Amino acid sequence: MNVSSHASGNWRRILGTLTLAVLLEQLPWSGWALVARPDFVLVAVLFWALHQPARVGFGVAFFLGLLADFQDGVVFGQHAIAYVVGVYLVLYLRLRLLQFDPHRQAAQMFPIFLGAQAAVLLVGWLAVNPPTGLSILVPALGSTLLWYLIALFMCLWHGKGAQDRA
Amino acid sequence: MAMPGQLMFARRLGPTARLAIWLLAGLACVVIDSRYHALDGLRSGFSVLLQPVRDVMRVPADVAAELAGFFTRHRLLQNERDALLLERAQLLVGVNDAKELARENAELRALLRLRDRPGQEVVHAALLYKGHDWFAQRLTLDQGASGGLRTGMPVIDAAGLVGQVTRVYPGSSEVTLVSSPDQLTPVLVERTGQRGLAAGTGRGQMELRYMPAQTDLRPGDRLLTSGIDGVYPAGIPVAAVNRVSRSQSSPYLRVECMPLAGIDRARGVLVLIAKPQAKTR
Repeated sequence: MNVSSHASGNWRRILGTLTLAVLLEQLPWSGWALVARPDFVLVAVLFWALHQPARVGFGVAFFLGLLADFQDGVVFGQHAIAYVVGVYLVLYLRLRLLQFDPHRQAAQMFPIFLGAQAAVLLVGWLAVNPPTGLSILVPALGSTLLWYLIALFMCLWHGKGAQDRA
Repeated sequence: MAMPGQLMFARRLGPTARLAIWLLAGLACVVIDSRYHALDGLRSGFSVLLQPVRDVMRVPADVAAELAGFFTRHRLLQNERDALLLERAQLLVGVNDAKELARENAELRALLRLRDRPGQEVVHAALLYKGHDWFAQRLTLDQGASGGLRTGMPVIDAAGLVGQVTRVYPGSSEVTLVSSPDQLTPVLVERTGQRGLAAGTGRGQMELRYMPAQTDLRPGDRLLTSGIDGVYPAGIPVAAVNRVSRSQSSPYLRVECMPLAGIDRARGVLVLIAKPQAKTR
């Protein structure tokens, strides 16, 4: 097996999906779509943290978190901390997550997304001012749904049980 | 135990230690940014980096709007044109009046030796992006420092005050909305001239703060900028009073207002740039 070409292909795929996630966040979202919008970057980062933990980890998550902070015009570090917490939770539950089918994986990811949003909420609360409602937790639902779709796609694409070869 | 691809012996820090390090870095970022505002350079860097990307990603929405506009029914356009012509005629009458009044005002001010009101220049900006922030409500505009924008400038649309420019990048800028929490706007009640302070509550609403319980206020009253702050020019519509209620515990009225500007609907806004004027009296 040619390891180097396999690795570069992986890098290309990782960079491609992360770029796509950043691009999707750049679309001019508004209204309820903005409220329920899944956090594409977080989903992409956690996906790769699950499947390629040696390549995508805390550093990438932190940098993309800073980018998300800029994107939303919030204090720097808010999303960075949330993404890092998300990556930690995924690494902690990694072996368990890899054995689940898409349903259970998504169900297991929901508290992780919720935890990441809660970290955003907490940091913003401490650093800026009290939030204006709990709509901050809604994107966790969208993210979970997106995760389910991606996991289902991977499952169908690679066949059952081969997900970690993504 | 050891999965394929997993190391048998730890050669690097464990996840918990790395989490702690990155959390410290994140907290440092938060403190440096919120306390010392030392990361503005990083923000500018990101803005320069992302500007072309944002421009490109806006194209699909623009094309959709163009297509929707193209397929609008002919009759609808005719009606709109007729309405606009009528409005234009009415406005022209008003403009003539206003010119006359402005001339008269200038003469009276000259007689009284009062300072002229600052002149204004308008920069048109398109709405680029709406921030996903739950702690303050922001918009991103496609005009920045290169368009002459600076922090503190008022942003309006056809219906009223939208907000204030709070961050400026080379090619874009961020606007904090009037309905954003803790964004204060000095206003006066159009009907009575009573001055007050309007604050955003979040959730797209505003409240008029510190109005004594006997104040004459009715639902439907319009609030205009009072101009005493020197930031907003006087007379820009800000909000309309929605509900006035009295509470037992507070000596002040509870006045709920609705911003007049189409904050959720506007696609293009105007930024007012005050012309520099002589500081001497």
